Amino acid sequence: MQTHDDGQFEAYLKRFHPIATEPIPTPSVGHSSRRSLSLGTWLAAVASVLVTGAVILHIRSNRVVVSKTASDLAFAERHAPSEPLTMRSANAWLATAPSFKAAVDDLAFRSQTSPLPQGKQSAVAVLSKGKIGL
Amino acid sequence: MGRTDRNTAEIDALYRQHGAALLLFASAISGDRGRAQDAVHQVFLKAIENGSVSEAVNKRAYLFACVRNALLNEVKLQDRNMPLDIDSAWFSPPDRDYAGEKNLRRALGDLPHDQREVIVLHVWGELTFSEIGDLSGVSSNTAASRYRYALAKLRGSMLAKENSCADSR
Repeated sequence: MQTHDDGQFEAYLKRFHPIATEPIPTPSVGHSSRRSLSLGTWLAAVASVLVTGAVILHIRSNRVVVSKTASDLAFAERHAPSEPLTMRSANAWLATAPSFKAAVDDLAFRSQTSPLPQGKQSAVAVLSKGKIGL
Repeated sequence: MGRTDRNTAEIDALYRQHGAALLLFASAISGDRGRAQDAVHQVFLKAIENGSVSEAVNKRAYLFACVRNALLNEVKLQDRNMPLDIDSAWFSPPDRDYAGEKNLRRALGDLPHDQREVIVLHVWGELTFSEIGDLSGVSSNTAASRYRYALAKLRGSMLAKENSCADSR
């Protein structure tokens, strides 16, 4: 190391060159917009999959209800008792009905389908006509 | 060629010309090579964005001031007394003198912050004492005397290390 005076020492120091810098990163406006576009595409795809799934589930659950209701009605039509309703027949009917709703629906069928003997009235009809004070 | 293209070309030329010295200066201030590199990039990217360098009369001194401000603003928020990262090389050594490079780095790291700053700015940044004074907020005389004192200290430190290595052989 030549260091007899300041000038020589300075010259010695200047022989050491600072290490070069890395290149300036290119301002990446295009890159960031591409990235946000890609993110948006992914979000849209995920959202559309979720919506499609929800719609399919909704349709399926509605189908089950409709088919169940239809089967209940079919059951009620098939098994509607022909004799007047008693506690015993109602219990038997409830025991064999696929659901409580099917049993109740059958009552409606019964009232329309079972003709009453001549000179007799339906108690339900009489009660519905009168004013009942509660 | 548009104004933006001219500005970018000018910035590119300035980066190629002064980038290495600015990085050394930033490393000497921040003590961290990665942070120094980020600060230099940040200054040049801002210069490309707003074209501020074109308006500067002394572009080289302006760039050193920008790097210094960027780092000091950041360091203020963090640790001012962080140790220098002297494990990574700062210089390309002449004649593969890696021991000399390490010795120089160590000796620079041992200097007080303001002395290290003035040495780097004058030797490798090639700023005058007047420019260094403007940048550091001191008179040119103070900058010059600080430099002479720092240079003597640096030389003593490097010689002492060389002699101790020679004695141990």
